[in-house]
Amino acid sequence: MSAAPASRATSRTAYAVAALALLAFLAVPWVGISNNAIRLLLTTFLWVTTSLAWNLLGGVTGQVSFGFAVFYGLGAYTAGLSINGGITPYAAIPAGGAVAAFGSLLIGLPTFRLRGPYFAIATIGVNEAVRIVMSNLDITGGASGVRLLQAGRFSQAEHYYAALGVASLAFLVSWRVMHSPFGLALRAIREDQDAAADVGVHPFRLKLAVHALAACLTGVAGGVFAHYTAYIHPDGVFSFSTSTSILLMPVIGGLGTLSGPVIGAAVYSIVQEEMVVHFPQFHLLLYGALLILIMLFEPGGLAGLWRRLARRLRGGGP
Amino acid sequence: MKDTGIREHGGSHRPAARTAIACIVVGSLALLGPWGSGIAAAQSAGCPDAIRIGMVFPMTGREGRPGTYQVEGIRLAMELINAKGGVYVKECGKRLPFKEILYDDQSDQGRTVQLVERTMSSDNVVAVIGAYSSSLGQAQSVVPDRYQVPWISPGAGASPIYNQGRKWIFGVLAPVELLGYTTMKFLGSLVDQGKLEKGLKIAIVVENTDHGKEYVEGVNRWVKENPGAFKVVYNESFQMGGTDFSGILQRMKAANADIFLSDAHLQDYITMHRQYTQMGLRHRMVSYGARGTEEPARKALGPAADYIFAGIWWHKDLPYPQVKAFVQEHKKKYQREPDSYYPSTAYDAVRILAAAIESAGSLDRTSIRNALHKVRLTDSLLPGQTLQFQENGQAMTPFVIVQNKPGDKVDFVYPEDSRTGEVVTRIPR
Amino acid sequence: MGLDDLLNLFVAAILLAGIYTAMSIGMTVIYGVMKMVNLAHAGFMMLGAYFALEMSQRLPIDPLITSVLAAPVFFLLGIATHRGMVRFVPVADEPTLPSLLLLFGLWLVLQNFGYAVWGADDRSIFTPLTMATFRFGGIVVPVIRLIVFGIALLSLVALHLSLQHTWFGRSVRALTQNREAGQLAGIDTGRTAMLAFGLGIAFTGLAGALLANLYSFTPDFGGSFMLRSFVITVLGGLESFSGVAIGAVIVALIETFSILVVPANYQHAISFILLVVVLLVLPGGIEGLLQRWRRLR
Repeated sequence: MSAAPASRATSRTAYAVAALALLAFLAVPWVGISNNAIRLLLTTFLWVTTSLAWNLLGGVTGQVSFGFAVFYGLGAYTAGLSINGGITPYAAIPAGGAVAAFGSLLIGLPTFRLRGPYFAIATIGVNEAVRIVMSNLDITGGASGVRLLQAGRFSQAEHYYAALGVASLAFLVSWRVMHSPFGLALRAIREDQDAAADVGVHPFRLKLAVHALAACLTGVAGGVFAHYTAYIHPDGVFSFSTSTSILLMPVIGGLGTLSGPVIGAAVYSIVQEEMVVHFPQFHLLLYGALLILIMLFEPGGLAGLWRRLARRLRGGGP
Repeated sequence: MKDTGIREHGGSHRPAARTAIACIVVGSLALLGPWGSGIAAAQSAGCPDAIRIGMVFPMTGREGRPGTYQVEGIRLAMELINAKGGVYVKECGKRLPFKEILYDDQSDQGRTVQLVERTMSSDNVVAVIGAYSSSLGQAQSVVPDRYQVPWISPGAGASPIYNQGRKWIFGVLAPVELLGYTTMKFLGSLVDQGKLEKGLKIAIVVENTDHGKEYVEGVNRWVKENPGAFKVVYNESFQMGGTDFSGILQRMKAANADIFLSDAHLQDYITMHRQYTQMGLRHRMVSYGARGTEEPARKALGPAADYIFAGIWWHKDLPYPQVKAFVQEHKKKYQREPDSYYPSTAYDAVRILAAAIESAGSLDRTSIRNALHKVRLTDSLLPGQTLQFQENGQAMTPFVIVQNKPGDKVDFVYPEDSRTGEVVTRIPR
Repeated sequence: MGLDDLLNLFVAAILLAGIYTAMSIGMTVIYGVMKMVNLAHAGFMMLGAYFALEMSQRLPIDPLITSVLAAPVFFLLGIATHRGMVRFVPVADEPTLPSLLLLFGLWLVLQNFGYAVWGADDRSIFTPLTMATFRFGGIVVPVIRLIVFGIALLSLVALHLSLQHTWFGRSVRALTQNREAGQLAGIDTGRTAMLAFGLGIAFTGLAGALLANLYSFTPDFGGSFMLRSFVITVLGGLESFSGVAIGAVIVALIETFSILVVPANYQHAISFILLVVVLLVLPGGIEGLLQRWRRLR
């Protein structure tokens, strides 16, 4: 993405539209929309957060991780156990992010130095190892999972705003990163690590940093999820299928962009639920086929497809 | 030059506008889908033309097979009740048929919660029957109290689910702890009869889940209450979904036990017992908890599955007329007899719910919840023929012990009064 | 535990290692020539298992023999997959994001195909051989594992011979060692890649079919075996054929003997922890270690 400054006028409308969207989402619990729709939006916000986070590492920096469930789970467990320990959720959820960021260093330190597929493979292995260890650690409840103590009456709106807040945070962070020299350096690493190193970029350090940032956002999302769902289990939050979900969304939406992961998360969580409800046997098939088609024909994902169509309609471009 | 395959497609200097549009699309997408059902919910005050029951089960994935069996049991019960016109609801002055709203959670913990929330908040259901397997049940059991919808599980037997002080959850499966306890009580009765010597050594290898832990608790409770009868010499747990059990079995072998007790899911039971046999291990008696009689297992293990004994919630040969009728109807609808307990508890979950609705005389969820606490099903399929929920919502029906015999035969061996064959206390070579 | 128990464990570990080698070698062939991590590995293994099942139900021959048929069938399947999709993703010196995601998508599709065709039931193959054992002093050897071990070993010998003595084998080795030099020497990379992909899938399918004789399976089958294959190939140095065999032996030994020191429920985690340890201290795998050692001499 070019760092060319956007024209003042368009960016002002953009900010206005973004603010309006935020206002609309803020108003959602007050305008008589069904609990079910609020729940769907809530989960969508959580997935938007994880997609944007994964996109920072996978899309912008080009490092494929199959292990983001580790951070999601670490966030969920940290938040869950802290809440059970009497800590307020508003401290417990950020703590989840911090622990996840710390965990990311342990994976990144040995693998980011190496070339080749080591990072991708290692993330798969770490994911499995962490799930098994968490299934057996007594202090985390092992394979019984963790039941969160629920103080007071359940309020869906509270959880909804938490998810909305986290998604907005992820959006702002992604925005900042992608429009900063840091983001530029990350893109350089993706395109050619050696060339990037030649012009004074530290691939190793930057990869570690963006990995930690992505892990932190994912962990926070995991914390909100734990607080909401009130029961977490290693086979849920730490499962390989959670990792693959987190990966599929930004890829389907369009890697390396800001809108792609948002679209991907929305499509995944909403279309997927309708798929699961109406054609339960085929939803994996759909995502697998979509993934293959996207990789073969439109690596830009749905966002890329949209751009291409828009350009075609305007009559310009290839 | 490394080609990462991701290219920018130009036109990217207005990301904010595009993303804002994306946000709006997200929002409208999210609202469009469920909107219709929200309207449906608003319309149906008063007497609807059917009793809507939400169902969330694993029909695919790891628990797909048992989950499907349970759904079959539910459908059979609903069909039979509907054939008689449905359930009489006093408030409406007429009989209303059941209507199912079924979701497949694909054995996925996150999805199962989402779908239970969906059905409770948007399908206008009177009650939800949900969850095979204790871990999926754990996840689902958080939701009913939030939305104040009665929830009955025919397949989640771990007691921690029911011990959280929740008010809206019910379970047809007796606790797994009782399974372990009954298993030991059965072995104890064999000692009393002189069929087993006193002081035999027991090795326990269980899965590391709530299910396995509770099983061991039950075993230990009996052992503590009856000192000197048996000695537990080996007690290990394993991670579910294993492919190689040679290490743990070799160690178990070194403990030199007389009786081998395990508690495992179907796939692990098959894998482990295959390896057990291939390693030439032998014990006087072998049990895999509630597993043993399942048809896939007997196919996969052949003669090695003979003489395995199991504590089970139900079996098709129980000598009650209602069981005979159920097996016949099951065969008529699905062209096969039930090979396991799964459809029976699901069948009874529907029947006890019907009884509760009838006694409440209303489709009001609170009245139904209160009625579920009081109602007794006196022609239950389950051992003892009486099904009712305890204070905490879980049923407490007794277990029966069965033993596989050669030629795909199964004999009841405990309790004494339902015995259909001699118990074999030394597995022949 | 007595000496007999330890010997039994050792035999079990070696038999396991044979199977592990057969299932990992396919991944190594594909990585070596194409620098792609085959994330559809588990999917093809699952297909191999169901292939063995279908054959055993249709043909009155021992399923162990029909399992061997999986090799040619999956060779063709692999070539078709390469022609149909894999050849369209860019090739580079290290795995690219599109290749990882493409093969991952293929895994999802295969898994779903399995569910659609065979359902979620536990399936298994049972023959009189399944439970047979023979005793050698205090050591008990399961006959079926020994046979599977033998078949795996034979297929490895066949692979070794073909790599050493055919034009294709030489191309494969050349490309594995140095892609650009191979191209300069006039190797038809497209053709070699296609054949190598077919060969890799052939081994994967064969391994799945052999495993079907040992374990029960569902369409989810293969996932945990694929993870082990990763560990083994990384341990072996990613593209070394002899390294894979050594890696398999090490993983099998550690997994089996870890029971002596590690609680059984952590056993599955061991190979993955091993993976991280290897990455930390031995990034080139065993092959890298051997090379360094040779250079020192």
